[in-house]
Amino acid sequence: MIGRFMQRILKNLEKSGMFRAGFFITLFVFLFVLAGAMYTPWSPTTMDEGARLAGFSARHLLGTDHLGRDILSRLLTGAGTTLFIATGTVLIGALCGSTIGAACGYFGGVLDEIVMRIIDALFAFPSILLALVFVSLFGSGRYHVIAALGIAFVPSFARTVRGEFLTEKNRDYVTKARLQGISDLRIMFLHILPNTGDVMLSSVLIGFNNAVLAEAGLSFLGIGVQPPDASLGRMLSESQQYLFRAPMTALLPGILLVLMILGFSLMGEGVRSHE
Amino acid sequence: MNKLPLLKVEDLQIEFHDHSLPETAVYDFDLTLMKGEIVGIVGESGAGKSLSALAIAGLLKRHSAIRAGRILFDDLDLSNCSREVLREYQGDEIAVIFQEPMSSLNPVKRVGEQVEESLRIHHREIDRKERKERAIRALESVGLKESARVYESYPHELSGGMRQRAMIAAAMIAEPQILIADEPTTALDVTVQAQILALLKQINREKGTTVLFISHDLRVIRQLCSRVLVMKDGRVVEEGDTERIFEHPREEYTRSLIRAIPQVKQKEPAPPREREILAVSHLDAGYGKRSVKKNAATGKILTDVSFVLKEGEILGLAGESGSGKSTLARTILGLLKPMAGTITRKDFRPAMVFQDPYGSLNPAYPVRWILEEAYTGGGRIRRGSPTEIREKIIDALARVELPESFLERKPAELSGGQRQRVAIAEALIADPNVLIADEPVSALDVTVQSQILKLLADLRDKTGVSILFISHDLSVIHSLCERVLIMKKGQIVEAGEVDAVYRDPEHPYTKELLAAAGLYHM
Repeated sequence: MIGRFMQRILKNLEKSGMFRAGFFITLFVFLFVLAGAMYTPWSPTTMDEGARLAGFSARHLLGTDHLGRDILSRLLTGAGTTLFIATGTVLIGALCGSTIGAACGYFGGVLDEIVMRIIDALFAFPSILLALVFVSLFGSGRYHVIAALGIAFVPSFARTVRGEFLTEKNRDYVTKARLQGISDLRIMFLHILPNTGDVMLSSVLIGFNNAVLAEAGLSFLGIGVQPPDASLGRMLSESQQYLFRAPMTALLPGILLVLMILGFSLMGEGVRSHE
Repeated sequence: MNKLPLLKVEDLQIEFHDHSLPETAVYDFDLTLMKGEIVGIVGESGAGKSLSALAIAGLLKRHSAIRAGRILFDDLDLSNCSREVLREYQGDEIAVIFQEPMSSLNPVKRVGEQVEESLRIHHREIDRKERKERAIRALESVGLKESARVYESYPHELSGGMRQRAMIAAAMIAEPQILIADEPTTALDVTVQAQILALLKQINREKGTTVLFISHDLRVIRQLCSRVLVMKDGRVVEEGDTERIFEHPREEYTRSLIRAIPQVKQKEPAPPREREILAVSHLDAGYGKRSVKKNAATGKILTDVSFVLKEGEILGLAGESGSGKSTLARTILGLLKPMAGTITRKDFRPAMVFQDPYGSLNPAYPVRWILEEAYTGGGRIRRGSPTEIREKIIDALARVELPESFLERKPAELSGGQRQRVAIAEALIADPNVLIADEPVSALDVTVQSQILKLLADLRDKTGVSILFISHDLSVIHSLCERVLIMKKGQIVEAGEVDAVYRDPEHPYTKELLAAAGLYHM
């Protein structure tokens, strides 16, 4: 399964310029985050009292924020937090969503009707609103945010996968597998799922995007990652008061956020466009 | 017939711009169309016959283009003129009809609008009222009754044959000099096919339209064309009068094509067969009232179907599309519950071969995985050590005459015939005693078709498996089967030994089917 996913990525790299561009942007972001996990020039929470809202200097390469914290260090860890939350969200959404979608699409009938109506109802709310409700019920913090956003992301995955299963299950190879007495679970996950690869890849990439945005949104609203921890949304929200005095404090996390989203969406578009 | 050259194609070469395809698709294609003749181009899929014809009509799609050569019509080189000039000819002087009448008509526009479209484009001087009159007349002339009603209807309200007639009406309304027909009857039932061919002949006779007819089916070509070009791998390998080609083919390839036409010969009597494996009696089945198909009141597709299948026999099930053949197969296999009647299965171990080898093999996996999955029932059945399983798989491939090197190939890397071989190997690997083959050769080229038929007969002789062979093609059934069931609208209207039924059909529908296949004279 992993190998096949890798193959697909290589195939896409070769075929689509858009995917290639997105891939290298994302690679840059990943390397940046990886570097941040290993080394930061300052601790992201250390306050350098003498240097509040400082500009670029040798002491603080990308300057400091209103509390004198090193922006480069905060970017390095904050991007990691954002990426970590997005990954968790997509993992939960994709795993639960595909399982639900696969079961509904494959079995159909009453199960499908009931579950899909619930999914439809969830789908009617914007995912950020759903996450808001979950967070206010269970509290904030990064793991709560992952859980909340993950659940909010289930419907879209469930729908996509269900659609794929609906068309695939009527194909002859599935009928044949049923005649051979192969179990339903095996047919669902071993026979049909691999054939939804490209659609899965593109919805995972687009899901990633939405997850990054949603995390930034939640943290911006102050119910996501809690201070003093850094995340890109958190940094944006803290810097808005000083937008005119120190525009770099908002611009830098903004640019990083844009790069992150651009990378994923270019990849997602690239996968979809040549199908 | 006056012998004026109408269109001349000289040294036409067509190339592909797609990396996954060979660079040159058609080499040195020469053709002179005389006024009023019907010329056929025959060849297997990928031979370049459609590409050549589309190039003449100026309709090459992306990825392909004319590299060299000239297409002369009216002292003008169509291969090398502006789009505007070309457009003057398309639809007005040169019209095209395609294979799939469903997708070549726009589903959201009324049939009439589409029929009169080329008048609207090429003959602005004709006003709306007259256009409509002429469209209705055109629909009438292609044999559509109630042409005024057809004019107002949408494509989905017409049957396949009616749609193809409407397409012909649309192509003919501007009275073009050349009609290019690209496999126009391939998607149709045999009886409808015969009607469409007769219609094309009539148009040619009455209006003097020159017809360029493309087909993979030599029998159709023989019925219709006076001259024929045989194409293989992008080249014209043989050209000449149809009768000469059929009686004295010069090229080996032409001979192999002619040999692949199923011959209706006297068969050797089959050995007596004793043991019944499957007995169906008074079976009714269908998809219930929710189904939009068929008889809406009861949802029934099959009515009162009875027959037996004996050990080691090949039983043919013939009928046109929608007659219930596949529903019967599904009911026998237990995929669909019978509404009434009984199915007695004695030691019944079935396997199935489907029509479309593209859809019936899982595209995500290599041949080895597909066969192993079938053999072990997805790990459900213990079949011994991995090496034993591997040997069994290689053995199964050998039975369908495929080498071991195919083990790691995926379906996309196989040709149609090779896929169908893998599908048969897959069906036989778990030692079934009944093989249900639903149109297993109708998606294949003729030469491949005859190979697969021979393979099925050989496998029956070697393994003693019974085969229920479902097909719309009566000559294929004759070449393979011992007994035949003729099905119409969910009922078996005639049954018996193949030879007897073909020599002396009783039911009028059987007669009609046989006549349409050129096997019986009414």
